[in-house]
Amino acid sequence: MASDRLVERRRVFQQYKADVKERGKPFYPYAMWHDTLMSFVVVGVIIGCAVVWKYTSLLGKLYDKPADPGTINFVPRPDWYFYFLFYLLRIFKWPNSVFLGTIGIPTICLLLLIAIPFLDVRFERRLLRRPVAVVAACLVVVSMGVLTYKGATAKEALGSELIAQVPHWAAKQGFTNNPQAIAGAKLFAVSGCLNCHTYLGSGGHNLGAPELTAEGAKNKGIDFQVRHLTCPSCVNPGSPMPSFAGLGPARLNQLAHFLEASKGGK
Amino acid sequence: MQPHDETPHVPGPSLWPVGFAVGIVVLLVGLIISWYITGLGALIALIFGFLWVRDLTVGTALTHAEEVPPERPTGPNLPAPAGGPAMPHASPERYPRSKFLELSTLGVGGLIGGMVTVPALGFMVMPAFLKQAHKDIDIGPLSDFPEGKYVVATFMSDPSEGEVSRRTAFVRYNGPGGPKNQPSFTIISNHCAHLGCPVQPNGPLNNKGTKEFGNVTLIPTISIAGFGCPCHGGQYDTEGNRIAGPPVRALDRYSYSIRHGRVYLGRPFSVSRVVGTGATAQIHEWRFSFPGEHVNGIESWLYPVQPPH
Amino acid sequence: MATRRMTRSEQLQQTILYPLDWLEERSGLVGGVKYFLFRKVPGDINWFQTLGSATLTAFLVQATTGVILAMYYKPDPNSAYASIQNITNHVFAGWLVRGMHRWGASVFIILMFMHMGRVFLFGAYKYPRELNWIVGVLLLAMGLGEGFTGYLLPWDQTAYWATVVGININGTAPFLGPFLAQFLQGGTYINADTLSRFYSIHMLLIPGGIMALIGLHLYLVIRLGVTSPPWSKEAAGTGPLADASTNGAGPRSGLVNPRPRRSAR
Repeated sequence: MASDRLVERRRVFQQYKADVKERGKPFYPYAMWHDTLMSFVVVGVIIGCAVVWKYTSLLGKLYDKPADPGTINFVPRPDWYFYFLFYLLRIFKWPNSVFLGTIGIPTICLLLLIAIPFLDVRFERRLLRRPVAVVAACLVVVSMGVLTYKGATAKEALGSELIAQVPHWAAKQGFTNNPQAIAGAKLFAVSGCLNCHTYLGSGGHNLGAPELTAEGAKNKGIDFQVRHLTCPSCVNPGSPMPSFAGLGPARLNQLAHFLEASKGGK
Repeated sequence: MQPHDETPHVPGPSLWPVGFAVGIVVLLVGLIISWYITGLGALIALIFGFLWVRDLTVGTALTHAEEVPPERPTGPNLPAPAGGPAMPHASPERYPRSKFLELSTLGVGGLIGGMVTVPALGFMVMPAFLKQAHKDIDIGPLSDFPEGKYVVATFMSDPSEGEVSRRTAFVRYNGPGGPKNQPSFTIISNHCAHLGCPVQPNGPLNNKGTKEFGNVTLIPTISIAGFGCPCHGGQYDTEGNRIAGPPVRALDRYSYSIRHGRVYLGRPFSVSRVVGTGATAQIHEWRFSFPGEHVNGIESWLYPVQPPH
Repeated sequence: MATRRMTRSEQLQQTILYPLDWLEERSGLVGGVKYFLFRKVPGDINWFQTLGSATLTAFLVQATTGVILAMYYKPDPNSAYASIQNITNHVFAGWLVRGMHRWGASVFIILMFMHMGRVFLFGAYKYPRELNWIVGVLLLAMGLGEGFTGYLLPWDQTAYWATVVGININGTAPFLGPFLAQFLQGGTYINADTLSRFYSIHMLLIPGGIMALIGLHLYLVIRLGVTSPPWSKEAAGTGPLADASTNGAGPRSGLVNPRPRRSAR
């Protein structure tokens, strides 16, 4: 014995079929014309992208270096349509929650997506009378857009890329004529400091380490910097920063000069 | 479409054409094998051909053969006859339902399906889990590894596979404090324990001191304060312990052996944490696991069984 | 039977129709195509509803360019990168086909999401189209899987390391994760088998699944019909029982207030 709702649904569907039969238009050529035009646009866009990729640099390089499984110099990234998942993994940075970000949330979202026709059983299709659906759709679009954008702009401090920025840092901070500071800047770029610290817009900020762009403006002195780099937790109890004593006094001196010369950039 | 003629012009069933065909075949075979067979074939073809032609020209078929009614369409060709059940209801039933036949058909069909699919699936799935052979890799003499400093060693774990088997490890000689007073090494894999990205050493490299032999490249470092991962920001200390970020355990390590004054890399294993540093460090070892899998603690219950590595 | 000579145009028509009739008598296919082409659709459908066929076009572009690329691509780690360079630089129009395939993938995925959003906002997943929605979600998942497996094939740094991470992500799934990761990799680490395996999945397994599901998806669209836009005043399904004051919702159509459940009566 079918429920009232089912009977009503069936009636409305029969009504739909009758309406279409009576007042509908043939698929060919009316709707098919729209479809064909849109498909033409799609194919044009694809060919256009291929041409732009080949002849300009707007869409990136034609190929990267060949795969090197032993590399220590590469920043992996997925294809752009996975950026939202990639950034989700950076949000879930507590080790106990890793499997939530990798498998848990995407699977839950997929199951929710499949379940939509069973969660929303109302007849109503007009947008203004479906507030939950419209709000949910907006939230999903916005969050995926934000996650994709953040994933696209997420930067990691990669030694070989950062070293190329040293002249730019020198120009901005004004230590171009200071060879000690330049040497210190290069050490700063390759020693992984920017994994935790930020400097002139580069580096990682989600680990809570202080920004160093204006470190020199605090005038802590070369001695202090060397002492701190040699044993950070002696100077700042509880600091998770590792010791850089292994670099040796000469290099530590260069780093100290670099830090003291970083007055905040013009 | 013209209806067929009413007068049948096909002769009754007869074997003479068959014999004629056999004769022609034997004749052709004899052309390849031997002339005698050709002659035999020609003889057979002649005899049967004569009999066949005699039948046709005499006008009557073999006297005791029955006329075969010509083929005739049983109904209008198109459109297909409308209506009527697909299986005409016959009474009484000539073919009663037989459970035995039904079950045997399904059973044999299932058997065939199994015979084809199971080996194919086995072919697809099993090789990834079998024959995970491991060869020890020679990465150089003891003298190439200065005490207390990491060396970035790049090698091929299976030279016969080529470049795809290239790996990198960070190798540090700790001094003679190993088991049985052998040299002690800390050899850390460069695959991040979060999702496998290549970690970078946090410190300058001494590229001028690079040594290469065979498939192995050794680049000494000046000083390393730890390792950092460029993908999602994981940070490790100099023993490979996780300091910050999403990695779920410490960096994996390689076992090693010293033979004839050279260092050989053995099997990799996973580490939950390392207490202490250098030769006296306590390494909490576990079976090798893929990145992202906890090896201890409550989350390790999510991964109770590891495939053979 | 015409007893006069046929005009030229009638003769031409007969010539064209004869093979079609021949085919139709023996297979019924021509009738199927005619039904598809000349079936009625609601009179008020709009441009948003072309996204579905646009997605199909993008998939066909991918399939065609993929087949052509496969004639020059070598799925072995030692020669994959070189074969891609060869395609891009030396093969006639190779750069165009490769570019179309690579950017066609992005366009395909964007269109899938847009089409899904359009269907969701039009409420076209409701009765009786729930099955079609589920098939569509599976198509989305398979399309993303195509993107993932295809990304490895150029065998450059981005390809290799993105795949390492992707496989390890699968490895973090509870219980079966490690087995899935090792199966995808073909071993404990990525090796030559991994590339072959991803190639087979990318070329044969997933496209087969996608084509089968697209067939089902299209069959359901043709059978169940296309919905009118929800804001349309003449939406099909409102019919003669509709009352103008309720914006097309009839007094018994339940569009405004769901019918009370049996137990509430």
